[in-house]
Amino acid sequence: MCFSIVLWTAGRTQVQTVKGQEWYQEDDIAEEYEEKRFSRGGRLIDRREKQAVLDAIGPVEDRDVLEIACGTGRFTVMLAERGANVVGLDISGPMLQQGREKAQRAGVSENMDLMRGDAGRLPFPDDSFDSVIAMRFFHLADQPASFLSEMRRVSRNQVFFDTFNRFTTRSLYNWALPMGSRLYSRWEVSRLLDSAGLHLVDDDHDFAFPYGLYREIPNELASVFRDLDTTLISSPLGKRLASVSYWHTRVP
Amino acid sequence: MREDLMDIICCPLDKHELDLEVIRRDDDEIMEGRLVCTECGEEYPVEDGIPNLLPPDMREESPA
Repeated sequence: MCFSIVLWTAGRTQVQTVKGQEWYQEDDIAEEYEEKRFSRGGRLIDRREKQAVLDAIGPVEDRDVLEIACGTGRFTVMLAERGANVVGLDISGPMLQQGREKAQRAGVSENMDLMRGDAGRLPFPDDSFDSVIAMRFFHLADQPASFLSEMRRVSRNQVFFDTFNRFTTRSLYNWALPMGSRLYSRWEVSRLLDSAGLHLVDDDHDFAFPYGLYREIPNELASVFRDLDTTLISSPLGKRLASVSYWHTRVP
Repeated sequence: MREDLMDIICCPLDKHELDLEVIRRDDDEIMEGRLVCTECGEEYPVEDGIPNLLPPDMREESPA
C-alpha cells in the first residue's frame, strides 16, 4: 500500500515536471514573471533571497559567477551591478530576452552574459567559475543529482542553491500550483551533496509561511506576517517549519 | 552576445572549443551568428543577441 503511494507520487512529479518546463518557457509567463512574483508581499521574498545569495558569495567584486536557471536575471543583474563577472544560463529564450533588456537598462551588459543552455550539459570547461548558484531551480529539476554534479564540475570553489522542503506548508501549497514542484527533505539534500562530492559549509532555513501567501497580500500585511514568520523560525522548533532552505557548499 | 564570451564557452556535448561565425553585428554585440564545434562540427545559433547552446536534442524544430 505504502509502496504504491510512493510510486504514484513519483509518477505524478515526473508528469508535472515536464509540464512545468513548458509552462516556464511560455512568452507571457516570462513577461509577467517578475510582476506576478515579486510585487506586493513578494518583495519581502525577493529581498530575503538576494540577501541569501550575497551572504553566501561574500565580496562579489571581480568574482566569476555562473547562475543556473537565471530566468529574467534577478540575481544575475544584481551581481553584475556589484562588479562580478556573471554568466546567466537558462532554458527559456523569452526569459533571457527580459534579462537582456534589464541588463541594458542597468548598464551592466559589459560584465554580464546570457545564454540558453541545458543545466545537465553545461557549455563550459571544468573549474570555470568561482561560484555557481541556482535559485528556485531544484524544485523544477527532474534530474537533481546530475544537475548538481554539473554545477560542481564547472565550479572551482562554491556551489549555492535553495530547495523547497517536504513536510511543511509548502507541501499543501504545492497542490495549488500550475507547474510541478519537487520538494526535498534534509536527508535527500545530504545524499545529493554526497553524490556530487560537495561539502556543506552552511545552511539556513526560512519561511514558515509559503511564498504563495506573501504574493497574495499587500505590503503592510506581508510585513506583519513576515515578523511572525521570523519569530516562528527562530523558535526551538522553527527550522522544521521552514519551507525554504539555502545550501552553501564547497568543492573540496 | 559579446565576443569575449568565446573565452568561456565550449561545446556542451564534447567540451571542445567553438568557432564563431558572425552574421549580424550591432556595435559590439553579436546579434545573429553561429557557434561551430571545432571537434564534432555541431552548430549552435546566436539568436537575437543570445547564443543558444542547448544540445540539439533540446532545441525547437523551428528556430524563432
